[in-house]
Amino acid sequence: MTSRLGSVMRGLGVTVLVALAGFPIYWLFTTATHTTGELFGGHVHLLPDLGRFATSMRDAASGVPMLRWLTNSAVVAFGTTLLSLAMAILAAYALSRYRFRGKGVFGFALFATQMLPEALLVVPLYSIFLTFGLLDNLGGLVLSDTAFAMPVAVWILKSAMDGVPPEIEESARVDGCPRYAILPQIVLPLIAPSIAAAAVITFFDGWNEYLFANTFITDERKWPASKGLASFVGEFVTPLNHVMAAALIFTLPAIVFFLFVQRRIVSGLTAGSVKG
Amino acid sequence: MDIPAKAGTGVEAPKPRAHRGRRLAPYLFIAAAAVYLLLLTGAPLLDGVWLSFTDTQLLNPTGGVYTGTGNYSSLFSDSAFVHSLLITVIYSAATVIGALVVGTTAAVAINGAFRGRALARAILTFPWAVPTVAAALIFAWIYNKDSGVLNHALSGAGLGGRGWLVDPTWSLFAVTLASVWKVFPFVMLVVLAALQSVPDELYEAARVDGADALNRFRTVALPFLMPTLRVTALLMTIWSFRRFEVIWLLTQGGPVDSTNALVINVYREAFVNSDLGRSAAMGVVGLVLSTIVTVIFFYVDRGAARKEAL
Repeated sequence: MTSRLGSVMRGLGVTVLVALAGFPIYWLFTTATHTTGELFGGHVHLLPDLGRFATSMRDAASGVPMLRWLTNSAVVAFGTTLLSLAMAILAAYALSRYRFRGKGVFGFALFATQMLPEALLVVPLYSIFLTFGLLDNLGGLVLSDTAFAMPVAVWILKSAMDGVPPEIEESARVDGCPRYAILPQIVLPLIAPSIAAAAVITFFDGWNEYLFANTFITDERKWPASKGLASFVGEFVTPLNHVMAAALIFTLPAIVFFLFVQRRIVSGLTAGSVKG
Repeated sequence: MDIPAKAGTGVEAPKPRAHRGRRLAPYLFIAAAAVYLLLLTGAPLLDGVWLSFTDTQLLNPTGGVYTGTGNYSSLFSDSAFVHSLLITVIYSAATVIGALVVGTTAAVAINGAFRGRALARAILTFPWAVPTVAAALIFAWIYNKDSGVLNHALSGAGLGGRGWLVDPTWSLFAVTLASVWKVFPFVMLVVLAALQSVPDELYEAARVDGADALNRFRTVALPFLMPTLRVTALLMTIWSFRRFEVIWLLTQGGPVDSTNALVINVYREAFVNSDLGRSAAMGVVGLVLSTIVTVIFFYVDRGAARKEAL
């Protein structure tokens, strides 16, 4: 096979894959810029009506309680990030730097959270939250989301810390750095990009989470955007273009941030699961 | 395999000043996370297992009575439950295989330098970043029977539309397709990272020997990728067993139970049929399935790793 034929084949393959992967997002954008009359009129409008984009976004923001929902999502997401990182940084350091009894069990427990169906835990969590008054409470969502987000953060951070040679810590000690300052002042700055990756993935765990939100939050003023948007599935009272514009607003931050940190997330996840 | 874990050896080596505080340190570091997981996943899990042996109802959540293995024996004599197990297996197998094939193909396609690579890679990563709820909204609209773009395209090609989400013949396929779209980028990124660890000299040697592209992939890259692909397959499988949102938002398990995977069944049994005991029993069955898959995986992985080492 000649290399020219090879590169044509590759170009073709890449184009097809990119078109298939990108189309639904293109379609989200396109749909958001057409009126319901156009959308359900029997014709397909393949191109976005760019002139109507700004109006659509504005209508979406005012027509549905999108801003309040997004604020709620942001609160849950920030809470999940802070709580997850605080615990994950410490746990990752122990896993990376110490050998101790129970390490294997702890590592397995972290992995096991990936097997637990939320649908099984949601009922017991519901009764626990009922007891402690955490239903209809964004703080309760932070607690349940962190249980699933934090282990992933531990993996990412542990694999990053494994890449920091212990000699750096030892020489810092020799230079008079107190033991308690080693982690925050020596190790953490060195793995800053991975902390950013862990922050992004935990943030969007909280931002995207739907099952717990759907079950624990009934008060519409406290709905996060995932639940608010899901309430539009199969509902045709709200204009579809407004729904799509709202979904687009909900989606954009995730796309932007994930693009920045994808590499580190992936290497952390696979390294974590290979080595437990 | 285990080299990084030993990175701490230098710190752990017995030192004259080693004392009890040093031995306690790791436990202090993991304390918060460990206690947290015990309270927020361990305790609910035990509670769920306990519920599965009772007849607890949603409207009277503390009034359940121990019924032994009653829930389990009723489950396995219930054809609807066996059907949902089957749906779970079909859905998971199709999603995992689909994501592995598409993801690996995409990784191979964008591995190496060409113009527009960064853009292609970014777009191929998008589906992974899109929140599931938004993805469900888009796919529900694309699949729409009367006005969806998919049916418009099909009738344009003279094939005629289908009720993708309302026809039990097509619903599981439609849900699987949306799932593959959502998760294949993860496989792609993982495989891409692994491909970059394949030494260039090996490719060169194969090229000199006259191997074509497909052969080079099979004989040079694939052996390097196998450990990565195995781990990815495991993660994909256990994630597929518990994937809830895509299916729930697109079909809620319908039409006529055609997409009623186990976790959908668990949720419906609890919050629609109000039978918490039975729901918990289903959830435990699902967890046991995941555990079996994981154990088999580690068994196979160890065997394969040994064979590869020879």
